[in-house]
Amino acid sequence: MRNKNTLRGKVAIVGIGQSPSGRVPGRSPLDLTADASLKALADAGMDKSQLDGVLTGNAYASSFHRFSVALSEYLNIQPSYSNTLQVSGATAGAAVNTAAAAICSGLADTVLVACGDSLLTGMTPDLAIRAMTESRDQQYEMPFGIPVANTFAMTAHRHMKEFGTTSEQMAQVAVTFRQHASRTPGAQKTDLISIDDVLASKMVSSPYRKLDCSLISDGAAALILTSAEKAYEYNQEPIFILGGGEYYSHEHIFLMPNLTETGAVQSAQKAYQMAGVSPLDIDVAGIYDCFTGTVLMMLEDLGFCKKGEAGPFVEAGEITYGGCIPTNTHGGMLSYAHPGIPAAWFHFTEVVRQLRGNCGERQVKDAEVGLVHTLGAGFSTHATTVLGKGSTL
Amino acid sequence: MKQLTEEDTIQKPLPIADSDSHAMWEGLKKGELLLQHCEDCGHVQYYQQGLCRICQSKKLVHRAASGRGIIHSYSVVHRSPGPAFRDDVPYAVLLVELEEGPRMISSLLGKDFTHLAIDSPVAMKTMKISEQVFLPCFELVNLADK
Repeated sequence: MRNKNTLRGKVAIVGIGQSPSGRVPGRSPLDLTADASLKALADAGMDKSQLDGVLTGNAYASSFHRFSVALSEYLNIQPSYSNTLQVSGATAGAAVNTAAAAICSGLADTVLVACGDSLLTGMTPDLAIRAMTESRDQQYEMPFGIPVANTFAMTAHRHMKEFGTTSEQMAQVAVTFRQHASRTPGAQKTDLISIDDVLASKMVSSPYRKLDCSLISDGAAALILTSAEKAYEYNQEPIFILGGGEYYSHEHIFLMPNLTETGAVQSAQKAYQMAGVSPLDIDVAGIYDCFTGTVLMMLEDLGFCKKGEAGPFVEAGEITYGGCIPTNTHGGMLSYAHPGIPAAWFHFTEVVRQLRGNCGERQVKDAEVGLVHTLGAGFSTHATTVLGKGSTL
Repeated sequence: MKQLTEEDTIQKPLPIADSDSHAMWEGLKKGELLLQHCEDCGHVQYYQQGLCRICQSKKLVHRAASGRGIIHSYSVVHRSPGPAFRDDVPYAVLLVELEEGPRMISSLLGKDFTHLAIDSPVAMKTMKISEQVFLPCFELVNLADK
Protein backbone atom coordinates (compact mmCIF):
# COMPACT_ATOMS: atom_id res chain seq x y z
CA MET A 1 0.00 0.00 0.00
CA ARG A 2 1.33 3.42 -0.93
CA ASN A 3 2.10 5.64 2.01
CA LYS A 4 0.05 8.81 1.57
CA ASN A 5 1.76 10.54 4.46
CA THR A 6 4.61 12.06 2.41
CA LEU A 7 6.80 15.15 2.68
CA ARG A 8 5.24 16.85 -0.33
CA GLY A 9 4.66 20.54 0.33
CA LYS A 10 4.91 20.21 4.12
CA VAL A 11 8.38 21.65 4.63
CA ALA A 12 10.23 24.57 3.03
CA ILE A 13 13.75 25.92 2.82
CA VAL A 14 13.43 29.48 4.15
CA GLY A 15 17.07 30.47 4.57
CA ILE A 16 20.37 29.80 2.81
CA GLY A 17 23.89 30.92 3.64
CA GLN A 18 27.45 30.32 2.49
CA SER A 19 30.82 31.13 3.98
CA PRO A 20 33.54 32.30 1.60
CA SER A 21 34.76 29.22 -0.29
CA GLY A 22 37.73 28.21 -2.39
CA ARG A 23 40.99 29.07 -0.62
CA VAL A 24 40.00 30.42 2.81
CA PRO A 25 43.03 30.10 5.11
CA GLY A 26 42.97 30.53 8.87
CA ARG A 27 39.39 29.47 9.48
CA SER A 28 38.39 26.22 11.16
CA PRO A 29 35.57 23.99 9.89
CA LEU A 30 33.38 25.10 12.84
CA ASP A 31 34.15 28.78 12.18
CA LEU A 32 33.23 28.41 8.49
CA THR A 33 30.06 26.47 9.31
CA ALA A 34 28.98 29.01 11.95
CA ASP A 35 29.55 31.78 9.39
CA ALA A 36 27.31 30.04 6.84
CA SER A 37 24.70 29.30 9.53
CA LEU A 38 24.50 32.94 10.69
CA LYS A 39 24.17 34.05 7.06
CA ALA A 40 21.30 31.58 6.57
CA LEU A 41 19.58 32.97 9.68
CA ALA A 42 20.06 36.53 8.39
CA ASP A 43 18.77 35.51 4.95
CA ALA A 44 15.60 34.14 6.56
CA GLY A 45 15.33 37.05 8.99
CA MET A 46 15.26 34.56 11.84
CA ASP A 47 16.75 34.61 15.33
CA LYS A 48 18.82 31.58 16.33
CA SER A 49 16.45 31.01 19.28
CA GLN A 50 13.91 29.74 16.74
CA LEU A 51 16.12 26.80 15.76
CA ASP A 52 15.30 23.59 17.61
CA GLY A 53 17.08 21.18 15.29
CA VAL A 54 20.63 20.91 13.92
CA LEU A 55 21.85 18.37 11.35
CA THR A 56 25.36 18.37 9.89
CA GLY A 57 27.87 16.14 8.17
CA ASN A 58 31.35 15.58 9.52
CA ALA A 59 34.51 17.55 8.75
CA TYR A 60 37.83 15.89 7.90
CA ALA A 61 39.81 18.84 9.27
CA SER A 62 37.98 18.82 12.59
CA SER A 63 38.44 16.41 15.49
CA PHE A 64 34.81 16.56 16.63
CA HIS A 65 32.91 13.28 16.27
CA ARG A 66 29.58 15.00 16.93
CA PHE A 67 29.97 17.97 14.61
CA SER A 68 26.28 18.92 14.91
CA VAL A 69 26.56 19.09 18.70
CA ALA A 70 29.84 21.01 18.53
CA LEU A 71 28.30 23.47 16.07
CA SER A 72 25.32 24.02 18.38
CA GLU A 73 27.65 24.80 21.26
CA TYR A 74 29.76 27.10 19.04
CA LEU A 75 26.59 29.07 18.20
CA ASN A 76 25.28 28.71 21.79
CA ILE A 77 22.08 26.97 20.83
CA GLN A 78 20.58 23.96 22.60
CA PRO A 79 18.54 21.98 20.05
CA SER A 80 16.06 19.24 20.98
CA TYR A 81 16.91 17.39 17.74
CA SER A 82 20.44 16.84 16.40
CA ASN A 83 22.53 14.37 14.44
CA THR A 84 25.78 14.16 12.51
CA LEU A 85 25.10 12.15 9.38
CA GLN A 86 27.62 10.13 7.38
CA VAL A 87 26.68 8.71 4.00
CA SER A 88 29.65 10.31 2.20
CA GLY A 89 28.73 12.59 -0.71
CA ALA A 90 25.02 11.85 -0.29
CA THR A 91 25.01 13.38 3.20
CA ALA A 92 23.63 16.71 1.95
CA GLY A 93 20.53 15.21 0.35
CA ALA A 94 20.07 12.71 3.17
CA ALA A 95 20.29 15.55 5.73
CA VAL A 96 17.66 17.64 3.90
CA ASN A 97 15.34 14.62 3.57
CA THR A 98 15.88 13.70 7.23
CA ALA A 99 15.32 17.27 8.45
CA ALA A 100 12.09 17.43 6.44
CA ALA A 101 10.95 14.12 7.95
CA ALA A 102 11.75 15.36 11.45
CA ILE A 103 9.69 18.51 10.88
CA CYS A 104 6.77 16.50 9.43
CA SER A 105 6.78 14.15 12.39
CA GLY A 106 6.98 16.86 15.04
CA LEU A 107 10.46 15.94 16.27
CA ALA A 108 11.54 19.47 15.35
CA ASP A 109 9.97 22.71 14.13
CA THR A 110 12.89 24.48 12.47
CA VAL A 111 16.13 22.74 11.51
CA LEU A 112 19.53 24.12 10.58
CA VAL A 113 21.18 21.79 8.03
CA ALA A 114 24.80 22.87 7.72
CA CYS A 115 28.25 21.58 6.83
CA GLY A 116 31.73 23.02 6.46
CA ASP A 117 35.31 21.87 6.12
CA SER A 118 38.75 23.20 5.30
CA LEU A 119 40.13 20.47 3.05
CA LEU A 120 42.38 22.88 1.16
CA THR A 121 44.13 24.95 3.82
CA GLY A 122 43.24 23.02 6.99
CA MET A 123 45.14 19.94 5.80
CA THR A 124 47.99 19.12 3.44
CA PRO A 125 46.96 17.70 0.03
CA ASP A 126 48.37 14.30 1.10
CA LEU A 127 46.28 14.31 4.27
CA ALA A 128 43.14 15.40 2.43
CA ILE A 129 43.47 12.64 -0.18
CA ARG A 130 44.35 10.04 2.46
CA ALA A 131 41.43 11.12 4.69
CA MET A 132 39.03 10.58 1.80
CA THR A 133 40.71 7.27 0.87
CA GLU A 134 40.18 6.07 4.46
CA SER A 135 36.50 5.74 3.58
CA ARG A 136 37.30 2.59 1.55
CA ASP A 137 37.40 -0.79 3.32
CA GLN A 138 40.64 -1.41 5.16
CA GLN A 139 40.75 -5.15 4.39
CA TYR A 140 39.42 -5.58 0.89
CA GLU A 141 40.05 -2.26 -0.87
CA MET A 142 42.58 0.07 0.75
CA PRO A 143 45.62 -2.29 0.69
CA PHE A 144 45.51 -2.16 -3.12
CA GLY A 145 46.12 1.60 -3.17
CA ILE A 146 42.62 2.54 -4.25
CA PRO A 147 42.11 6.30 -4.21
CA VAL A 148 38.62 7.81 -4.19
CA ALA A 149 38.91 8.60 -7.90
CA ASN A 150 39.56 4.95 -8.68
CA THR A 151 36.10 3.57 -7.88
CA PHE A 152 34.42 6.20 -10.03
CA ALA A 153 37.07 5.76 -12.73
CA MET A 154 36.28 2.05 -12.99
CA THR A 155 32.61 2.82 -13.59
CA ALA A 156 33.64 5.31 -16.30
CA HIS A 157 35.76 2.68 -18.08
CA ARG A 158 32.76 0.33 -18.15
CA HIS A 159 30.56 3.13 -19.51
CA MET A 160 33.07 3.79 -22.28
CA LYS A 161 33.28 0.08 -23.12
CA GLU A 162 29.53 -0.60 -23.06
CA PHE A 163 28.22 2.58 -24.70
CA GLY A 164 31.12 4.06 -26.64
CA THR A 165 31.30 7.11 -24.35
CA THR A 166 34.42 9.17 -25.12
CA SER A 167 36.91 11.19 -23.08
CA GLU A 168 35.84 14.21 -25.16
CA GLN A 169 32.24 13.78 -24.06
CA MET A 170 33.26 13.56 -20.41
CA ALA A 171 35.49 16.62 -20.87
CA GLN A 172 32.48 18.58 -22.13
CA VAL A 173 30.99 18.37 -18.63
CA ALA A 174 34.05 20.14 -17.17
CA VAL A 175 33.99 22.73 -19.96
CA THR A 176 30.28 23.49 -19.42
CA PHE A 177 30.52 23.78 -15.63
CA ARG A 178 33.53 26.08 -15.99
CA GLN A 179 31.44 28.35 -18.22
CA HIS A 180 28.79 28.37 -15.50
CA ALA A 181 31.36 29.14 -12.78
CA SER A 182 32.74 32.04 -14.80
CA ARG A 183 29.44 33.84 -14.11
CA THR A 184 29.22 32.89 -10.41
CA PRO A 185 30.64 35.30 -7.82
CA GLY A 186 32.96 33.46 -5.44
CA ALA A 187 33.71 30.50 -7.72
CA GLN A 188 37.16 28.97 -7.18
CA LYS A 189 37.94 28.45 -10.88
CA THR A 190 36.63 30.92 -13.42
CA ASP A 191 39.14 30.80 -16.30
CA LEU A 192 37.45 29.20 -19.30
CA ILE A 193 38.77 25.83 -20.48
CA SER A 194 38.43 23.83 -23.68
CA ILE A 195 38.03 20.10 -24.31
CA ASP A 196 41.69 20.08 -25.43
CA ASP A 197 42.70 21.61 -22.07
CA VAL A 198 40.94 18.77 -20.24
CA LEU A 199 42.53 16.12 -22.47
CA ALA A 200 45.97 17.73 -22.03
CA SER A 201 45.76 17.83 -18.22
CA LYS A 202 47.68 15.23 -16.20
CA MET A 203 46.29 11.74 -15.83
CA VAL A 204 45.11 11.10 -12.25
CA SER A 205 43.38 7.71 -12.36
CA SER A 206 42.54 6.57 -15.89
CA PRO A 207 40.37 7.58 -17.67
CA TYR A 208 40.17 10.65 -15.39
CA ARG A 209 42.59 13.51 -15.87
CA LYS A 210 43.07 16.44 -13.50
CA LEU A 211 40.33 18.54 -15.10
CA ASP A 212 37.89 15.60 -14.96
CA CYS A 213 38.26 15.67 -11.17
CA SER A 214 36.57 17.98 -8.67
CA LEU A 215 38.53 20.64 -6.82
CA ILE A 216 39.81 20.63 -3.23
CA SER A 217 38.45 23.60 -1.29
CA ASP A 218 37.54 25.21 2.00
CA GLY A 219 34.00 26.35 2.65
CA ALA A 220 30.64 25.86 4.30
CA ALA A 221 26.98 26.23 3.43
CA ALA A 222 23.78 26.14 5.47
CA LEU A 223 20.06 25.71 4.91
CA ILE A 224 17.16 26.43 7.26
CA LEU A 225 14.06 24.27 6.95
CA THR A 226 10.72 24.86 8.63
CA SER A 227 7.12 23.74 8.31
CA ALA A 228 4.84 24.99 5.53
CA GLU A 229 2.66 26.68 8.17
CA LYS A 230 5.54 28.89 9.32
CA ALA A 231 7.30 29.21 5.95
CA TYR A 232 5.75 32.54 4.98
CA GLU A 233 6.70 34.26 8.27
CA TYR A 234 10.25 34.90 7.06
CA ASN A 235 11.98 37.25 4.63
CA GLN A 236 12.40 35.00 1.61
CA GLU A 237 10.10 33.22 -0.77
CA PRO A 238 9.92 29.68 0.66
CA ILE A 239 11.10 26.85 -1.57
CA PHE A 240 9.21 23.66 -0.76
CA ILE A 241 10.37 20.06 -0.52
CA LEU A 242 8.21 18.22 -3.05
CA GLY A 243 9.79 14.80 -2.75
CA GLY A 244 12.73 12.89 -1.36
CA GLY A 245 14.24 9.50 -2.06
CA GLU A 246 17.39 7.60 -1.14
CA TYR A 247 19.03 4.29 -2.05
CA TYR A 248 22.00 2.37 -0.69
CA SER A 249 22.85 -0.51 -3.01
CA HIS A 250 26.23 -1.73 -1.72
CA GLU A 251 29.26 -0.81 0.38
CA HIS A 252 32.18 -2.37 -1.52
CA ILE A 253 32.70 -1.36 -5.16
CA PHE A 254 33.12 -5.05 -6.02
CA LEU A 255 29.54 -5.69 -4.87
CA MET A 256 28.05 -2.92 -7.00
CA PRO A 257 25.46 -4.90 -8.98
CA ASN A 258 26.01 -3.09 -12.29
CA LEU A 259 28.83 -0.60 -12.79
CA THR A 260 26.89 1.50 -15.29
CA GLU A 261 23.50 1.70 -13.59
CA THR A 262 23.35 3.06 -10.06
CA GLY A 263 20.99 3.40 -7.11
CA ALA A 264 20.14 6.87 -8.41
CA VAL A 265 17.45 5.11 -10.49
CA GLN A 266 15.58 3.98 -7.36
CA SER A 267 16.40 7.10 -5.36
CA ALA A 268 15.06 9.42 -8.07
CA GLN A 269 12.03 7.26 -8.79
CA LYS A 270 10.94 7.56 -5.17
CA ALA A 271 11.50 11.33 -5.13
CA TYR A 272 9.65 11.86 -8.43
CA GLN A 273 6.74 9.73 -7.28
CA MET A 274 6.43 11.62 -3.99
CA ALA A 275 6.66 14.95 -5.81
CA GLY A 276 4.21 13.87 -8.52
CA VAL A 277 6.61 14.98 -11.25
CA SER A 278 8.65 13.39 -14.03
CA PRO A 279 12.15 14.32 -15.24
CA LEU A 280 10.48 16.44 -17.95
CA ASP A 281 9.05 18.73 -15.24
CA ILE A 282 12.48 19.59 -13.77
CA ASP A 283 13.66 23.07 -14.83
CA VAL A 284 17.07 23.16 -13.14
CA ALA A 285 19.30 20.53 -11.52
CA GLY A 286 22.15 20.27 -9.06
CA ILE A 287 23.97 16.98 -9.70
CA TYR A 288 26.88 15.78 -7.56
CA ASP A 289 29.86 16.16 -9.88
CA CYS A 290 32.86 14.59 -8.18
CA PHE A 291 34.04 13.51 -11.65
CA THR A 292 32.88 14.36 -15.16
CA GLY A 293 31.72 10.83 -15.99
CA THR A 294 29.69 10.75 -12.76
CA VAL A 295 27.46 13.46 -14.22
CA LEU A 296 26.94 11.49 -17.45
CA MET A 297 25.79 8.42 -15.55
CA MET A 298 23.49 10.49 -13.33
CA LEU A 299 21.84 12.22 -16.31
CA GLU A 300 20.85 8.73 -17.46
CA ASP A 301 19.84 7.30 -14.08
CA LEU A 302 17.85 10.41 -13.11
CA GLY A 303 15.92 10.00 -16.36
CA PHE A 304 17.06 13.10 -18.25
CA CYS A 305 18.24 10.94 -21.15
CA LYS A 306 18.29 7.24 -22.04
CA LYS A 307 20.90 4.79 -20.73
CA GLY A 308 24.09 5.09 -22.73
CA GLU A 309 23.13 8.38 -24.39
CA ALA A 310 24.51 10.93 -21.94
CA GLY A 311 27.67 11.54 -23.97
CA PRO A 312 25.84 12.86 -27.07
CA PHE A 313 23.29 14.56 -24.74
CA VAL A 314 26.02 16.64 -23.12
CA GLU A 315 27.74 17.34 -26.46
CA ALA A 316 24.43 18.71 -27.76
CA GLY A 317 24.41 21.37 -25.02
CA GLU A 318 21.52 19.84 -23.05
CA ILE A 319 23.02 20.58 -19.59
CA THR A 320 23.42 24.30 -20.06
CA TYR A 321 21.13 27.27 -20.74
CA GLY A 322 18.65 26.55 -23.54
CA GLY A 323 19.15 22.80 -23.17
CA CYS A 324 16.89 20.15 -21.63
CA ILE A 325 18.24 20.47 -18.10
CA PRO A 326 20.57 23.33 -17.07
CA THR A 327 22.78 21.66 -14.45
CA ASN A 328 25.13 23.01 -11.78
CA THR A 329 24.63 26.62 -12.82
CA HIS A 330 27.05 27.68 -10.04
CA GLY A 331 29.86 25.57 -11.53
CA GLY A 332 29.60 22.53 -9.27
CA MET A 333 32.43 20.75 -7.50
CA LEU A 334 34.41 20.77 -10.73
CA SER A 335 34.65 24.58 -10.73
CA TYR A 336 32.78 26.30 -7.88
CA ALA A 337 34.06 24.50 -4.76
CA HIS A 338 34.59 21.03 -3.29
CA PRO A 339 35.24 21.21 0.46
CA GLY A 340 34.46 17.47 0.87
CA ILE A 341 31.17 16.48 2.51
CA PRO A 342 29.86 20.12 2.39
CA ALA A 343 30.29 20.26 -1.41
CA ALA A 344 26.75 19.17 -2.21
CA TRP A 345 25.28 21.79 0.14
CA PHE A 346 26.25 24.31 -2.57
CA HIS A 347 24.10 22.42 -5.09
CA PHE A 348 21.17 23.06 -2.72
CA THR A 349 21.91 26.77 -2.18
CA GLU A 350 22.20 27.26 -5.95
CA VAL A 351 18.97 25.43 -6.84
CA VAL A 352 17.13 27.37 -4.11
CA ARG A 353 18.47 30.65 -5.55
CA GLN A 354 17.39 29.58 -9.04
CA LEU A 355 13.87 28.79 -7.82
CA ARG A 356 13.69 32.10 -5.95
CA GLY A 357 14.69 33.76 -9.23
CA ASN A 358 17.70 35.46 -7.64
CA CYS A 359 20.45 34.32 -9.99
CA GLY A 360 20.86 37.45 -12.10
CA GLU A 361 22.73 36.78 -15.32
CA ARG A 362 22.86 33.04 -14.65
CA GLN A 363 19.12 32.75 -13.96
CA VAL A 364 17.33 29.85 -15.65
CA LYS A 365 14.19 31.50 -17.03
CA ASP A 366 10.94 30.63 -15.25
CA ALA A 367 12.50 27.92 -13.09
CA GLU A 368 9.76 26.47 -10.87
CA VAL A 369 10.82 22.90 -10.10
CA GLY A 370 14.39 21.88 -9.26
CA LEU A 371 16.19 18.65 -8.42
CA VAL A 372 19.27 18.01 -6.33
CA HIS A 373 20.96 14.62 -6.51
CA THR A 374 23.83 13.88 -4.14
CA LEU A 375 25.83 10.63 -4.07
CA GLY A 376 28.97 9.17 -2.64
CA ALA A 377 31.39 6.33 -1.93
CA GLY A 378 31.70 4.95 -5.46
CA PHE A 379 27.95 5.22 -6.16
CA SER A 380 27.10 3.40 -2.89
CA THR A 381 24.95 6.17 -1.47
CA HIS A 382 22.27 8.23 -3.21
CA ALA A 383 19.86 10.94 -2.08
CA THR A 384 17.48 12.84 -4.36
CA THR A 385 15.40 15.87 -3.41
CA VAL A 386 12.81 17.59 -5.59
CA LEU A 387 12.20 21.24 -4.73
CA GLY A 388 9.53 23.65 -5.97
CA LYS A 389 8.13 27.16 -5.68
CA GLY A 390 4.90 27.65 -3.73
CA SER A 391 3.09 27.91 -7.08
CA THR A 392 3.83 24.22 -7.74
CA LEU A 393 1.82 22.99 -4.72
CA MET B 1 36.70 12.29 13.20
CA LYS B 2 40.11 10.73 13.68
CA GLN B 3 42.76 13.32 12.93
CA LEU B 4 45.31 11.80 10.54
CA THR B 5 48.94 12.81 10.83
CA GLU B 6 51.65 12.97 8.17
CA GLU B 7 52.95 9.76 9.75
CA ASP B 8 49.69 8.00 8.82
CA THR B 9 50.06 8.94 5.17
CA ILE B 10 53.53 7.35 4.92
CA GLN B 11 52.28 3.93 6.07
CA LYS B 12 50.50 1.72 3.58
CA PRO B 13 47.11 0.63 4.85
CA LEU B 14 47.34 -3.06 5.78
CA PRO B 15 44.42 -5.40 6.29
CA ILE B 16 43.60 -6.22 9.91
CA ALA B 17 41.87 -9.61 9.96
CA ASP B 18 38.70 -9.96 12.01
CA SER B 19 36.74 -13.01 13.11
CA ASP B 20 34.91 -13.11 9.78
CA SER B 21 38.01 -12.85 7.60
CA HIS B 22 40.72 -14.64 9.59
CA ALA B 23 40.57 -17.85 7.51
CA MET B 24 40.92 -15.98 4.22
CA TRP B 25 44.06 -14.12 5.25
CA GLU B 26 45.51 -17.39 6.62
CA GLY B 27 44.73 -19.10 3.28
CA LEU B 28 46.59 -16.44 1.34
CA LYS B 29 49.74 -17.25 3.32
CA LYS B 30 49.52 -20.69 1.69
CA GLY B 31 48.89 -19.20 -1.74
CA GLU B 32 45.15 -19.93 -1.70
CA LEU B 33 42.29 -17.47 -2.17
CA LEU B 34 39.46 -18.97 -0.12
CA LEU B 35 35.89 -18.28 -1.23
CA GLN B 36 32.84 -19.05 0.86
CA HIS B 37 30.42 -21.58 -0.67
CA CYS B 38 26.93 -21.80 0.81
CA GLU B 39 25.88 -25.40 1.39
CA ASP B 40 22.21 -24.42 1.41
CA CYS B 41 21.81 -22.28 -1.71
CA GLY B 42 25.08 -22.75 -3.59
CA HIS B 43 26.00 -19.03 -3.54
CA VAL B 44 29.73 -18.30 -3.74
CA GLN B 45 30.92 -15.15 -2.00
CA TYR B 46 33.87 -12.84 -1.52
CA TYR B 47 34.42 -11.23 1.03
CA GLN B 48 34.14 -13.39 4.13
CA GLN B 49 31.01 -13.06 6.26
CA GLY B 50 29.40 -15.02 9.08
CA LEU B 51 26.39 -15.75 6.90
CA CYS B 52 25.42 -16.23 3.26
CA ARG B 53 24.54 -12.89 1.65
CA ILE B 54 21.75 -14.52 -0.38
CA CYS B 55 19.97 -16.89 2.03
CA GLN B 56 21.54 -15.93 5.41
CA SER B 57 22.50 -19.55 6.04
CA LYS B 58 25.48 -20.10 8.31
CA LYS B 59 26.47 -23.31 6.52
CA LEU B 60 29.43 -21.86 4.67
CA VAL B 61 32.47 -23.83 3.60
CA HIS B 62 35.76 -22.46 2.35
CA ARG B 63 37.10 -23.63 -1.00
CA ALA B 64 40.16 -22.33 -2.78
CA ALA B 65 39.42 -20.30 -5.91
CA SER B 66 40.93 -21.42 -9.21
CA GLY B 67 42.68 -18.06 -9.35
CA ARG B 68 41.43 -17.49 -12.89
CA GLY B 69 39.29 -14.49 -13.80
CA ILE B 70 38.73 -11.64 -16.21
CA ILE B 71 39.11 -7.91 -15.79
CA HIS B 72 35.64 -6.43 -15.24
CA SER B 73 37.10 -2.94 -15.04
CA TYR B 74 40.32 -1.18 -14.05
CA SER B 75 41.97 2.18 -13.53
CA VAL B 76 45.65 3.06 -13.76
CA VAL B 77 46.62 5.30 -10.85
CA HIS B 78 49.06 8.07 -11.80
CA ARG B 79 48.43 10.48 -8.90
CA SER B 80 49.24 8.47 -5.79
CA PRO B 81 46.84 8.64 -2.85
CA GLY B 82 49.54 10.02 -0.57
CA PRO B 83 53.23 9.25 0.07
CA ALA B 84 52.64 5.56 0.88
CA PHE B 85 52.04 4.74 -2.77
CA ARG B 86 54.25 7.43 -4.35
CA ASP B 87 57.01 5.01 -5.36
CA ASP B 88 54.46 2.63 -6.87
CA VAL B 89 52.82 4.89 -9.47
CA PRO B 90 51.78 4.22 -12.11
CA TYR B 91 49.96 1.07 -10.99
CA ALA B 92 46.73 -0.56 -12.07
CA VAL B 93 43.87 -1.27 -9.68
CA LEU B 94 41.71 -4.07 -11.02
CA LEU B 95 38.12 -5.10 -10.52
CA VAL B 96 38.45 -8.81 -11.27
CA GLU B 97 35.54 -11.14 -11.93
CA LEU B 98 36.58 -14.56 -10.70
CA GLU B 99 35.71 -17.72 -12.60
CA GLU B 100 33.54 -18.73 -9.61
CA GLY B 101 31.44 -15.56 -9.97
CA PRO B 102 32.40 -13.05 -7.27
CA ARG B 103 34.25 -9.84 -8.08
CA MET B 104 37.14 -8.44 -6.05
CA ILE B 105 39.44 -5.43 -5.93
CA SER B 106 43.08 -6.24 -6.58
CA SER B 107 46.25 -4.93 -8.24
CA LEU B 108 47.99 -5.82 -11.46
CA LEU B 109 51.50 -7.17 -11.01
CA GLY B 110 53.96 -5.24 -13.14
CA LYS B 111 53.72 -2.05 -15.11
CA ASP B 112 53.08 -3.23 -18.64
CA PHE B 113 49.65 -1.80 -19.38
CA THR B 114 49.73 -2.46 -23.15
CA HIS B 115 47.35 -5.41 -22.98
CA LEU B 116 45.36 -4.14 -20.00
CA ALA B 117 41.71 -4.03 -21.05
CA ILE B 118 38.22 -4.94 -19.90
CA ASP B 119 37.62 -8.69 -20.42
CA SER B 120 41.37 -9.53 -20.44
CA PRO B 121 42.02 -12.88 -18.69
CA VAL B 122 44.08 -12.74 -15.49
CA ALA B 123 45.56 -15.22 -13.02
CA MET B 124 46.12 -14.76 -9.28
CA LYS B 125 49.46 -14.70 -7.51
CA THR B 126 50.00 -13.82 -3.89
CA MET B 127 52.38 -11.02 -3.01
CA LYS B 128 54.17 -11.11 0.34
CA ILE B 129 53.90 -7.80 2.17
CA SER B 130 55.04 -9.09 5.59
CA GLU B 131 55.13 -12.41 7.49
CA GLN B 132 51.48 -11.83 8.36
CA VAL B 133 50.13 -10.29 5.17
CA PHE B 134 49.98 -11.76 1.70
CA LEU B 135 47.85 -9.85 -0.82
CA PRO B 136 46.01 -11.51 -3.71
CA CYS B 137 47.25 -9.86 -6.92
CA PHE B 138 46.81 -10.72 -10.59
CA GLU B 139 48.86 -10.90 -13.74
CA LEU B 140 47.64 -10.79 -17.31
CA VAL B 141 47.46 -14.20 -18.93
CA ASN B 142 49.42 -14.23 -22.12
CA LEU B 143 46.99 -15.81 -24.56
CA ALA B 144 49.85 -16.85 -26.85
CA ASP B 145 51.10 -19.18 -24.07
CA LYS B 146 47.85 -21.11 -23.94
